[in-house]
Amino acid sequence: MGRKVDLLQGTLEVLILKSVSLGKLHGYGILLRIQQIAGGKLEIPQGSFYIALYRMEHKGLIASEWGSSENNRRAKFYQLTAAGRKQLRLETEKWAQMTDVVGTVLSATPETL
Amino acid sequence: MSLRSRIRSWWQALAHRSQIDREVQQELEFHLNAHADHLIENGVEPSEAMRQAKIAFGRADVQKEKYRAAIGLRPLYEIGSDIRYGFRSLYRHPMISFAAVISLALGIGATTAIFNLIDSALLHPFPYVDAERIVNPSLIDLKQPLVPTWFALEPAQYESFLKAKSVDSVLGFMLGAQPETGGAFPEDVGTAYVTPNMNDFLGVNALLGRGLRPSDGSGNVIVLGYKYWQRRFGGDPSVIGHTLQLSHTDLTIIGVMPARFAFTETVGNVDAYVPWSASRAPALFPLIKLRRGVTPATAGEEFQAYVKHFKQQTPLHFPDDFHVNVEPIAAPYMHRTGQAVKLLFASVVFLLLIGCANCSVLLLARGEARQHELSIRAAIGASRLRLMRQLLIESLAIAFIGAALGTALSFWLANLPLKLMPGIFPQEAAIGMNWRILAFSIALALITGILFGLAPALRFSRPDVSQMIQSRSRTLSSSGGHSLNMLIGAQVALTLLLLGVAGAAVTGFMRLTSMKLGYDPHNVGFVSVPLKWDPNKNQPAYTSYIEQLRNAVAAVPGVQSASILSSFIPPSQPFGGMGKPYIIELLGQQTRPEQYPSLVHLISPEFFATVKTPLTRGRLWTADENRRGDFVAIVNESFVQRYLGGREPIGQQIRTDGLRNDGRSKTITSPNSGEWRQIVGVVADARNDGLERPVFPAVYVPYSTFMWYTTRIFFRAETDPRTLERPLRAALHNVNASQRIFGNEIGTLDEALTGQTVWVQQHMFSVLFTFFGVLALSLSLFGIASTVLFAVGRRRNELGIRMALGAQRSHIIWTVASTMFATIACGIVAGFAIHLAAQHLLAHWMPAGNHSPWVFAPAAGLLLLGAAAACLLPAMRAAYANPLETLRAE
Repeated sequence: MGRKVDLLQGTLEVLILKSVSLGKLHGYGILLRIQQIAGGKLEIPQGSFYIALYRMEHKGLIASEWGSSENNRRAKFYQLTAAGRKQLRLETEKWAQMTDVVGTVLSATPETL
Repeated sequence: MSLRSRIRSWWQALAHRSQIDREVQQELEFHLNAHADHLIENGVEPSEAMRQAKIAFGRADVQKEKYRAAIGLRPLYEIGSDIRYGFRSLYRHPMISFAAVISLALGIGATTAIFNLIDSALLHPFPYVDAERIVNPSLIDLKQPLVPTWFALEPAQYESFLKAKSVDSVLGFMLGAQPETGGAFPEDVGTAYVTPNMNDFLGVNALLGRGLRPSDGSGNVIVLGYKYWQRRFGGDPSVIGHTLQLSHTDLTIIGVMPARFAFTETVGNVDAYVPWSASRAPALFPLIKLRRGVTPATAGEEFQAYVKHFKQQTPLHFPDDFHVNVEPIAAPYMHRTGQAVKLLFASVVFLLLIGCANCSVLLLARGEARQHELSIRAAIGASRLRLMRQLLIESLAIAFIGAALGTALSFWLANLPLKLMPGIFPQEAAIGMNWRILAFSIALALITGILFGLAPALRFSRPDVSQMIQSRSRTLSSSGGHSLNMLIGAQVALTLLLLGVAGAAVTGFMRLTSMKLGYDPHNVGFVSVPLKWDPNKNQPAYTSYIEQLRNAVAAVPGVQSASILSSFIPPSQPFGGMGKPYIIELLGQQTRPEQYPSLVHLISPEFFATVKTPLTRGRLWTADENRRGDFVAIVNESFVQRYLGGREPIGQQIRTDGLRNDGRSKTITSPNSGEWRQIVGVVADARNDGLERPVFPAVYVPYSTFMWYTTRIFFRAETDPRTLERPLRAALHNVNASQRIFGNEIGTLDEALTGQTVWVQQHMFSVLFTFFGVLALSLSLFGIASTVLFAVGRRRNELGIRMALGAQRSHIIWTVASTMFATIACGIVAGFAIHLAAQHLLAHWMPAGNHSPWVFAPAAGLLLLGAAAACLLPAMRAAYANPLETLRAE
């Protein structure tokens, strides 16, 4: 396991959107999936993770329903709503743009100026 | 991001709070269990797994709060708990909270009451539909611009008026009085002849039976007014369908109007409504409902053209030069009472400010006691904003309780001016409760809550934690002194102002009651007598008929003197055709127009004896001269002083065109009424132009020189003139069995005096301002006393040490009370300064008040005395306390 990366401000939402877009998941599952995809390189504070979930549900990006987990426990499952899907697309584009721009700036050499 | 989902989650969080809490808890448990399971799978001991899961999660106990914060509802929950906490802390200091609530309730109650009065009695006094669009056009004669007069229209003119573009609908009416025949005495019934659309136009339904309908045409039906129905029929509901005989015509009673309905008391007393016909009344006054969106000004322009046209048809009905004035029907009342109500409103706002200052003072005082608690809250992390919010919520809680009590109180208080000023506001006005008044009191609560809460909130939201935590510091703390002193000073200034106004009102009223009238109103009664118009009777016939009536009254046992005065009722300004001063010409003097304006009074020579106005020079005219009417006159002292410039008045010749018979109205005049008359006598001045103005130069002439459809018999009785009603009516009945008297009752000069607008207003001012002044004074004194009491409490320790070291009691009292005295003195000076600045405005709003600055001396004295007592009592208590006990108490 390499060095853990702090979460950039505002990126937790898009990560949650992405992981929920792959299928219906409960809170702990989302957390696991993000860590799994990120190869354990991301440190996600669990307290604020739920706050993000609450806020996103409040905003209508994700919807929840109660169901039973793989261990037959009652769990709250989240899935993407139409608004959430649109938001994910926007955020993805924005993120790509951002990394492009930042990458270009960072890769600048005296010759390219 | 949909608004819908937000509203849904807010709704669920608020409405299903426990369910949401449970779900948050369940999700949390699931998370911890799942994490623990995961750890166990990875080989962690089961006993250890849960612990690690919990550590990884962080603080689990505040998860519900986090949920609320996430959906943005956290402030709401905090405010909820602030409110609960606020009420608890109000409850913890019950005396202070009670005093604060009461002082605010009085202020808000008084303010809401006056607002209610303005709303109900001035802005919306009439129970008619669309009353704000109903206007009564009047004419302003450019020669007499102060007195607008109504104009009556001939039926054809009325019909053409209906077509005006600004007019939505018109109600035509004419007042008359008819005798009810067939009883012991002919009873006078005030009748309004109305076009049969009355009930539709005004939008008021009958209480019993039905109102008038267009289909009634000009039929023989009658709708009764409520008071007349009560008086004449004892409120008998079976009266519908019966007949009432007026002037020997049988009218079928079809309905009774509701109690509040009194159309149109603006013009005169109305007992019943009869459909109009040309034979019942020759002309109609128009009452107009304007079309929606038409302003009175544009309507006035249109009506001007119409009335110009009407004047060409009937020139005698209109003045030579005029313009049409269109105003909503409530406007005249507004003109008349506007100033008084402004003054009332200004003073209740002062009262409210005093109440607010009092609350501030009390909260500041209480805040001192709460500093410990607040600094603990600050020490464990409450932000300044949070403490301010807490304190403001407490003051708002006081404000809202005060407003609720005040609004209830205002309902009673708002009726007070109506009761104190009968006849000043429209009779149909009723104090009610509506959303405007509720919104006003809620707004007041919010504003006052923030106003008086702000100073304490700002001050106590930044407690000096380090100092307060060292429990019970023994410093000589004078914290809060500045704002506290400012508030007390302001309170004292406003109280002095209110007391000063109360003094001006009371002494002004006393001046009115002790005013030299020039006549003695006590035990003088009068009856107004309608005369039947008969073209076959001439001036001598009318004169001898009136003389017969007068003789009959004079012969009634208990009557000392009876006389005729047909032109006015003292002390008011005369009314009708005789209302305006006439231009008097003096023989041998060049008379420029408007040189010798005088009021002309039509009397019989016994009048001066009846009202005890002394003759100062010359003689009264004889009975013969009185019957003839011409060639004689008596003038008052003002006339002699103003117009005769030291010349001998007796023998001077005067005349006026005003007494000529111009044929405009049904008048009977003597042959030479407008010719030269000799002044035969001079009488002392008696009030004839209202109480607020000096006596106007007056010319008295025999009543027989100018008569119209009504005359008035005045008589001096040995006791209350009203007790003579039956013998007096019997005496008149003996002269002429069909002779009735207006209103079926005897009027008295005492009543005419106390019914004067200025009298009624000044009476109301003196009662209300005494009330307001006493309230303000007690509020201020309470504030002062509690401030000193708290200051003493705070300095107990210091005072104890001083006394233990041998300080004199007088010194202790001085130490405690000196700052307060300085503050009070500043307040008194400030109040006096404000009064001097506002003097002009006060004189404008209360014309009959006493505006000498000396009325301030007793007010300031009273305030000083009260303030000294309020200061010294707690100071004395401190000075006489046992220093040992005081020190031990710490």
